[in-house]
Amino acid sequence: MPASWTDLFGGRLPDGLERFDIGHADYCALIDADTAFWALVRHDEIGRVVADGSLEAEWRAKAGDFAREMEMLRFHLKPSAVYFNPTERCNLDCSYCYIPQDMRRAGEHMSRERLHDAMVRLEEYFARTVPEGRRPQIIFHGAEPMLNRDAMFTAIDDFGDRFRFGVQTNATLLDDEAIAFLTRRGCGIGLSLDAPLPEVADRSRKRWNGDGVFRSTVEAIERLRGYAGFNVICTMNRENLGHLVPMVEFLHAREVPACMLNVVRCTQPGGRAAWADDEAVSAAYLAALDRSHELFMQSGRKLVVANFANILISILAPTARRLMCDISPCGGGRSFFALAPDGSLFPCSEFIGLPAFAGGNLFTDRIEDVLNSPAFRQVTGRKVEDIAACAACPVRHFCGSPCPAEAHEANGGMDRIGAYCGFYLEQARYAFRLIADGIADDYLWDGWDEGAETTFAFGC
Amino acid sequence: MTRTEDVTTLSAKTRPAVIATRKSCDAEGTGLSHYVLMDRLVKR
Repeated sequence: MPASWTDLFGGRLPDGLERFDIGHADYCALIDADTAFWALVRHDEIGRVVADGSLEAEWRAKAGDFAREMEMLRFHLKPSAVYFNPTERCNLDCSYCYIPQDMRRAGEHMSRERLHDAMVRLEEYFARTVPEGRRPQIIFHGAEPMLNRDAMFTAIDDFGDRFRFGVQTNATLLDDEAIAFLTRRGCGIGLSLDAPLPEVADRSRKRWNGDGVFRSTVEAIERLRGYAGFNVICTMNRENLGHLVPMVEFLHAREVPACMLNVVRCTQPGGRAAWADDEAVSAAYLAALDRSHELFMQSGRKLVVANFANILISILAPTARRLMCDISPCGGGRSFFALAPDGSLFPCSEFIGLPAFAGGNLFTDRIEDVLNSPAFRQVTGRKVEDIAACAACPVRHFCGSPCPAEAHEANGGMDRIGAYCGFYLEQARYAFRLIADGIADDYLWDGWDEGAETTFAFGC
Repeated sequence: MTRTEDVTTLSAKTRPAVIATRKSCDAEGTGLSHYVLMDRLVKR
């Protein structure tokens, strides 16, 4: 055994596992990145554990299974969800929106008949690909989908027994009648709010005349209190980083069951203008996670930060993840795709403002052909092994190097990293610290591992 | 005290030398990117 075992920081050990500093007083991680295998080892025991060899032997015995699991997850899923944009228009002009301004200001609506036709075509496609008994997901997204409410609600009623539905909305048009309609049908409802104070939230999310929409969003949150199927997305940007801890307190106090603290994507110029550096984003975000845990300890009630929960699950149970940004290739074009109002199909909503990434049209092309189009293959073929900065990174399969649209537009190509490499690294380190402290479940939905079986357990 | 850096909550010697677990399941729940799937929480 080399004398320097306990002094190693990074680098690949002779047993094939790579040491990764997680910033914990007692533990470091040993990782096999390719199979997303990890073990946390006490600093004062690492020499003994490596020399003993039993951890290595158990890992090697399972490595083939883990590799097959990652292969299936990364390359053999079929779409089960669609971002369905029933209109190009939006009544807001948020500073960082990834849909171009002219589209949102004067774009087209999908007619009720056209929307129905789209649903029929999607149903035919999913009948060929989704196993019987499972319902694919349709998420009405935008722009602002509630601007085309009648057509959207008609589709929810017409296809509600064959699809699961969700709506991501700015809440300005979410009146009592709409809430009753959606909640009675079990639809997911996602709202957007960037800060607990109007003077901060309204800087980024505002109407075309400049008026903020903080008040109407908060009213909708109040009206949805008690509904398990709603959540709030907070887009982290340079304007609101100092308000993430009070934001978590604000949402928790209103019994919001889940939120996302998403970084603003730098795909479009407006997003790039709102970018904040990794260090600033990480500090604010991890403080907000800390606070969410304190609130859980005090109240017994969780506010799940879903995008972080997904990172945590990608470590604990890779196949149980629910979101597909932080995996390589990402889910765009392979576990979901996006439909624009003119029928154009994109790998993800993030690409809707980038015409070169339209792979075909729902009304004229076979979806299978679109998924295999050169435009889609640019995204579905982007993998961490081909990105120089990721190829040797130990957390590459807990991060996935998002986002391809951002990498392409802001950093110059699909073989480049996105805009928040350090932030994802810090999320992985934080997640490992929670596992070391035995409190990871506190950050996850109750029952998150329902249906999952333990396939590796060493030292527990 | 926060968990953001170098936190220890227990005496090191009382902790296991190794923590290594993994769970597996059918990847049926995998779905979206910037939308939270809440379907498991909604009773219909």
